[in-house]
Amino acid sequence: MGGSTPINKERPVIEIDRVSKSYNKGKIKAVDDLSLVVRPGEIFGFLGPNGAGKTTTIKLIVGLLRPDAGTIRVEGFDVRRDGLKSKAITSYVPDYPSIYERLTGLEYLNFIGDVYGVPRRERLERIEKWLEIFDLTAAVANPIQSYSHGMKQKIVLTAALLPAPRVMVLDEPLVGLDPRAAHHLKELMREHCDQGKTLFFSTHIMEVAEKLCDRIGIIDHGRLIACGTMDELKSLDRDSQTLEKIFLELTDK
Amino acid sequence: MSRLGSLIRVGLKANFGLAVLRYRLLKEKKDRWLVPLVGLAVISVLPALYGYVLGIKFIYVVLQPLGQERAILTLGFLAGQFLILLFGLYYVISAFYFSKDLELLIPLPLKPYEVMASKFAVILVNEYLTVLAIVGPVLATYGVLANGGLAFWVNAVVVYLFLPVIPLAFVSVLVVAMMRLINFSRKKDALILVGSLVLIAGAFGLQLLIGKSQGRGSMESLAALIGSPNSLLNRIGAKFPPSIWASRALAGGWSAEGLIGLGIFLGTSLALFWILLVLAEKLFYRGLVGIGETSARRRVLSRVEMSRRVATGRHPIRAVFVREWRIMNRTPIFLLNGLLTVILFPAIFLLMAKTAGGRGDNAVMLRLLTGAADAVPVILAAAAFMIVSGSLNGTSSSTISREGAQFWMSKALPISPRDQVLAKFVHSYLIVVLGIVPSALVLGLALHMKAGRILPAAGLALLLGVVLTAIGIMIDLARPLLDWTNPQKAIKQNLNVLFAMAADIALMTVLGYGSVRALKAGLPGGTLLVLLAALLAALSVLSLVLLFRFADKRYAEIEV
Repeated sequence: MGGSTPINKERPVIEIDRVSKSYNKGKIKAVDDLSLVVRPGEIFGFLGPNGAGKTTTIKLIVGLLRPDAGTIRVEGFDVRRDGLKSKAITSYVPDYPSIYERLTGLEYLNFIGDVYGVPRRERLERIEKWLEIFDLTAAVANPIQSYSHGMKQKIVLTAALLPAPRVMVLDEPLVGLDPRAAHHLKELMREHCDQGKTLFFSTHIMEVAEKLCDRIGIIDHGRLIACGTMDELKSLDRDSQTLEKIFLELTDK
Repeated sequence: MSRLGSLIRVGLKANFGLAVLRYRLLKEKKDRWLVPLVGLAVISVLPALYGYVLGIKFIYVVLQPLGQERAILTLGFLAGQFLILLFGLYYVISAFYFSKDLELLIPLPLKPYEVMASKFAVILVNEYLTVLAIVGPVLATYGVLANGGLAFWVNAVVVYLFLPVIPLAFVSVLVVAMMRLINFSRKKDALILVGSLVLIAGAFGLQLLIGKSQGRGSMESLAALIGSPNSLLNRIGAKFPPSIWASRALAGGWSAEGLIGLGIFLGTSLALFWILLVLAEKLFYRGLVGIGETSARRRVLSRVEMSRRVATGRHPIRAVFVREWRIMNRTPIFLLNGLLTVILFPAIFLLMAKTAGGRGDNAVMLRLLTGAADAVPVILAAAAFMIVSGSLNGTSSSTISREGAQFWMSKALPISPRDQVLAKFVHSYLIVVLGIVPSALVLGLALHMKAGRILPAAGLALLLGVVLTAIGIMIDLARPLLDWTNPQKAIKQNLNVLFAMAADIALMTVLGYGSVRALKAGLPGGTLLVLLAALLAALSVLSLVLLFRFADKRYAEIEV
């Protein structure tokens, strides 16, 4: 896998088409008739209040949940019917780094490398690079059990970067990172998309979304209530000049 | 409600999951099919319970003319309290020191003794359930036969409620003191392993002791054992007098003897519990802090080392297998219930064989196994022994559950469910083989069974192992338990493990019964073995096909 296949600039990378997902036999609608498209090379920021349906949407994209209705495609692959193909080009980082505590960091990275079929040379190169950037080199031979929350977050990020995925889906990736790691992560997100690859992430940090994202979607009560570039969002309301104000305005119902 | 009261209530609710069960049964209507299944399980236990009650009654009738009948109570209490002592160490270590909610409780404005008391209450309720099967029938049978009256039943309830306190408090004091004395923060896994091994060794020792003093395994000898003044029972009873006090409290009713017995029993229980709370106030948190953290040596890998350790690329199936193997063997509770069980079973058998010395029930089985008579029943019995050693552990039936909160990776990574389940199958089956090999060795080396019998038996066991492993994985796929915080729940308190064992035993019973009937009906033994092998081979293929199909379906359905 990786970036060897040419990227089709025309076709959307992530297509969410009229997707609904409810819990508790339809009583709680987490995602309600959601449609959105993310294009190649785009950093898409996904915003919304707590419980709005961000994590549910992300879990639907990476195949952890099954939609009740609608389809989701990643590079044209239906995540339900062609799940393996869409997973092979996608990396996912959950909001809470729940990983194999009894493995060492390196064993975990090797496991991910094996599963994605990353060749040895690239594997070594990338592991060394990201461990260095995230300051994990000294801890990688130790069991993950001994890591702090932030270190676990960083080893999951390293694992997600190891296959050099074309699509990255990150759920609140900046939570728990120290300022240096957060800075590096933001840089690598930009770098990732400058190579024509795609990134979809959720966040609560308005400044990050405002500065980093090419486009932003705001979800509330499972519905997409606004979507577009920062300028497009600003044009929704003349008075609201910051994303924070737009967000508060739109979700204040 | 008082602070302590509400803490205990929350602890009980969180552990026995009544709210979750009620929610699942009544609101989500998910686990409804469990209700008839549990009912069926209860009904299937009834014959065994009936046999147990008959046994108690028999001993009562033998002992009553000698005026020794209350020894039954002592024996019942002793067995119950011994059981509590055995399980207690396990429960206590994991509840006091390794439950995840401690991280929530410690910062709250609670005193250490209050936290300890709430944990103690949870274990206490667990123990009530554990000893009910042993002590309940003894109390009921004795009460009815001795016509105990109100005094007996009231005292019986009080004694039952206090029964676990002394052994549990005893174990707790030991554990709390030990945790404080030695800094275990880096060796908690080793602690669980060593503790469990000491217990297992203790159980072995007791087995040896009973085996030696028992001689014949009949009811009469058991009665003689209890009745004689120098019996094992009295010796242990003398060393552990609470069971004698409890017996006096019950047999004496509300007479002076009974009330004194009850008083001493309750007084000792409360005193020990009080000592535990005082100790907890001083030592609990100091032994606790840092136990959740694992400090590790920071060793920077050199470039060469790093390069060596970065794998060349395993096939994904192998990668999943290696992950399963490592996590199973590095999690003490998984290791004890998997790998260790399969080695333990043949070892216990070996011990039984050595101590029985050619008499008693064990010897009957040994004669069957080694005897020069008809080869076919010997081969079948040997195969049964091998497969029981290899299969009656929770490896296959907890294989999905063990992933717990990490199951998201199995869903998100690009490996097909079939490949993942194949790796899990290979891992579980390897454990089966690891059980069959020592069993075959025990049969061959200790019981001198001929290779001509061991080999066909091993063949049958290996084939049946495929079927049983596939059944175990399918049961765990059907209802995986993924939301645990204490690994004990994934394997020891996982109903799937029980269901799988029940299914295994049912299938073995059907096969065994069918074989016996076929032999009696005059089917030549050799033909039976060939037919059985063919049947098992067909079942193996079928179960694997079903397993892979079911994996495709369930991996898509399980949401995390």
